[in-house]
Amino acid sequence: MTPEKAFDEYHQAVYSFAYRLTLREDIAEDITQECFLAVIRDPQRFDEARGTMKTYLFSIARNLALKQYRDHRLESPEDGAPAAVTDPRTSMELSSAVAEAVNALPLLQQEALILFEYEGAALEEIAGIVGADVGTVKSRLHRARNGLRRMLAPYRKAESTHGTA
Amino acid sequence: MEPLKEDELSDQELDALLPEWKAPLAPAHLRASVFPNVSRRWWRNFWCFSIWVPAPVAVLIAIVVVLAVWRGSVPVAPRVIVRTERVDVPVLKDRVVSRTIYRDRIVHASPAAPGRNAHELQPVAELRPVIIRSEE
Repeated sequence: MTPEKAFDEYHQAVYSFAYRLTLREDIAEDITQECFLAVIRDPQRFDEARGTMKTYLFSIARNLALKQYRDHRLESPEDGAPAAVTDPRTSMELSSAVAEAVNALPLLQQEALILFEYEGAALEEIAGIVGADVGTVKSRLHRARNGLRRMLAPYRKAESTHGTA
Repeated sequence: MEPLKEDELSDQELDALLPEWKAPLAPAHLRASVFPNVSRRWWRNFWCFSIWVPAPVAVLIAIVVVLAVWRGSVPVAPRVIVRTERVDVPVLKDRVVSRTIYRDRIVHASPAAPGRNAHELQPVAELRPVIIRSEE
């Protein structure tokens, strides 16, 4: 697959993934750019036997986002209990509330949830991207969803009235 | 599966909430920043053109260039070219003496000094020695 074709097919997905991990459009743009420049600079590093181009690109994006995360948010735990979050009830929009809740999850749960729920990746693909086995990914997803259930509970009523308003 | 608490969403409720968060579209200029060569003008491509050269070839080229520069800087001894040309030269032939002719020389007698006549020079008849004493 040529870099141009890979860009046409996956740049939106990589950008969305990077944006959801960092919540910054400029950083998401840099990460997306770096991903495809890596493919252009060293195309031999992509091994088709180890995974698809999508998996490869998401792995690069994930590593860059992790680096960003470590450089600027060292105080947040990467795994374990969810960090203290802003009360979603104060968010004006449902979209912002969901974003804040997802962003409040530990990073490893966050990336698994984003890949599964938003990027439509299969469990095996997520395992390949994050470098963990499928069981670990399942566990992270389960904990992430549990955390979101609690954090987004105040929006139950709002969500149920959202369609009728 | 553990029962849901009062302050927790169900799976269906959560699944309905999650799609509310939409990511923005990737900026249109992203392609240009990833593939800048496509949007460059031809003359900019010309000045920024580059080729990949394997390291051994690059080293070889560098050695050849250094040798060429070195040879160019060292003064070369002038080459002596010996060229033989045939030139027609006029030959002056020597005169060969083939015979010698002797002839009488005409001697012109010189005139005698005045007062000196060979006939007057006669031996003396009687020796009369004169003794001269020195002053010492």
